Amino acid sequence: MEYVSPEGLRLDGRRPMEMRQLRAELGAVSRADGSAVFEMGNTKVIAAVYGPREVQQRSQQLNDKALIRCEYTMANFSTGDRMRKPKGDRRSTEISLVIRQTMEACILTHLMPRSQIDIFVQVLQADGGTRSACINAATLALADAGIPMRDLVTSCSAGYLNSTALLDLNYVEDSAGGPDVTVGILPKLDKVTLLQMDAKLPMDIFENVMQLATEGCKAVANYIREILMENTKQLENRRGI
Amino acid sequence: MVGLSIGEKHFIQGGIAQDLRTDGRKRLTYRPISVETGVIAQANGSARVKMGKTEVIASVKAELGRPSSSAPDKGKVSIYIDCSPTAAPQFEGRGGEELSMELSAALRQCLLGGKSGAGAGINHSSLSIVDGKVCWDLYIDGLVINIDGNILDALGAAIKAALSNTGIPKVNVASTAPSDEQPEVDVSDEEFLQFDTTAVPVIVTLTKVGRHYIVDATSEEESEMSWAVSVSVNREGLICGLTKRGGAGLDPSVVLDMTLVVKHVSEELMNKLDSEIAAAQAMEEKS
Repeated sequence: MEYVSPEGLRLDGRRPMEMRQLRAELGAVSRADGSAVFEMGNTKVIAAVYGPREVQQRSQQLNDKALIRCEYTMANFSTGDRMRKPKGDRRSTEISLVIRQTMEACILTHLMPRSQIDIFVQVLQADGGTRSACINAATLALADAGIPMRDLVTSCSAGYLNSTALLDLNYVEDSAGGPDVTVGILPKLDKVTLLQMDAKLPMDIFENVMQLATEGCKAVANYIREILMENTKQLENRRGI
Repeated sequence: MVGLSIGEKHFIQGGIAQDLRTDGRKRLTYRPISVETGVIAQANGSARVKMGKTEVIASVKAELGRPSSSAPDKGKVSIYIDCSPTAAPQFEGRGGEELSMELSAALRQCLLGGKSGAGAGINHSSLSIVDGKVCWDLYIDGLVINIDGNILDALGAAIKAALSNTGIPKVNVASTAPSDEQPEVDVSDEEFLQFDTTAVPVIVTLTKVGRHYIVDATSEEESEMSWAVSVSVNREGLICGLTKRGGAGLDPSVVLDMTLVVKHVSEELMNKLDSEIAAAQAMEEKS
């Protein structure tokens, strides 16, 4: 199948290096300590953060740092065909783990010993790149909850189809079976905290694709920072400063 | 779930006794309701409903299926509710399953009628395509995003809104197929039939706190309840279903009194909801 037309346009009309439309909103779940909605095109996720709070299961308590827990769930209606998978299948468990590890790398856990932070991500619409969208939503929710972090973590994916490097794959491109590189970075510290790839790629092309994904992460980071700034300004206004 | 001191409990109960609740409402007033339709792009119909801080999403998906042998001229409708852990940390893992089941069962009772589908708010016959061969299966999925009491009413409203947002593709059946074979059907991508929702009831939950009952209880008020009765009422004022929750028993005579109250309240809710749905549809068409 042709994923990039001779004119250089992708199936959804984007250019190879173009990201889907981003949209984010803070404070979507009023009961949570921090929450956010993050959209990348048709992919839409909600993240909610509860904590830091007392550890629920004493045996899991860590004396020198906070316990981070994460759960990833997909709504029944999130995919094209209605899903009838039970909760906690292998894929969700794996993504929960990935998100947890990525967030652990940026939260200053040593400041909150003997406490627990829960991150819940709920996918409302899945159209490729849920992993990245979840990480971006979780970052925003953590920032909204006021949890101390080293830096924002942002994530974006890139792939390689029809000998072209493509940024931010959607579902159709993702299921094409080509390589899919998901990168998560700490943009200010310029460090990679998440790197996953399936399928195979020559070394030099991999470098290009990863570079592209990293650029994508930086663009997401700029957007997230904008949203946070806007939110902070609103809070400032409300407090009358 | 909700940690309240004795003073706070008295305050809530006292307020309800004096017909002035903690958020300034009267006993039989709803919180502001906001409806947004078409929120899930992949579904045939969807809606997000907010009642105060309670927020739910309902989606309707239609798939082609085979009617059951006991009702060959009717389609099938199933309702599943899911409680997202974003709403409350205790729903993590399998924690939300019990509540999800309870809500799904209550909604099925309130909306789907008896086994035969008679008296249902949703017209099963309209989902039939070829008798005994092909029909539409409607999957109604509810997702609870944020909980602040009165989830059942919110879910009922969201399902009603999602159904009125639902377009079911028009189907052309090839008439040449022999009667014992599965007929070939052609699902249209362009033409949609609007789903008729005039008969879909609304659900009103009366929560008994102290000596009085209230509508649209918040989580704090629900923690003080002795029982709650959910009644689904359609446009004609007929009761379509009834479920009771909570431990304490209630006097049979109260039920009759309640139905009168519900009839009055449901009319207001129905009108409010209809205008909100119409406004949401207009908004969606504009954008």
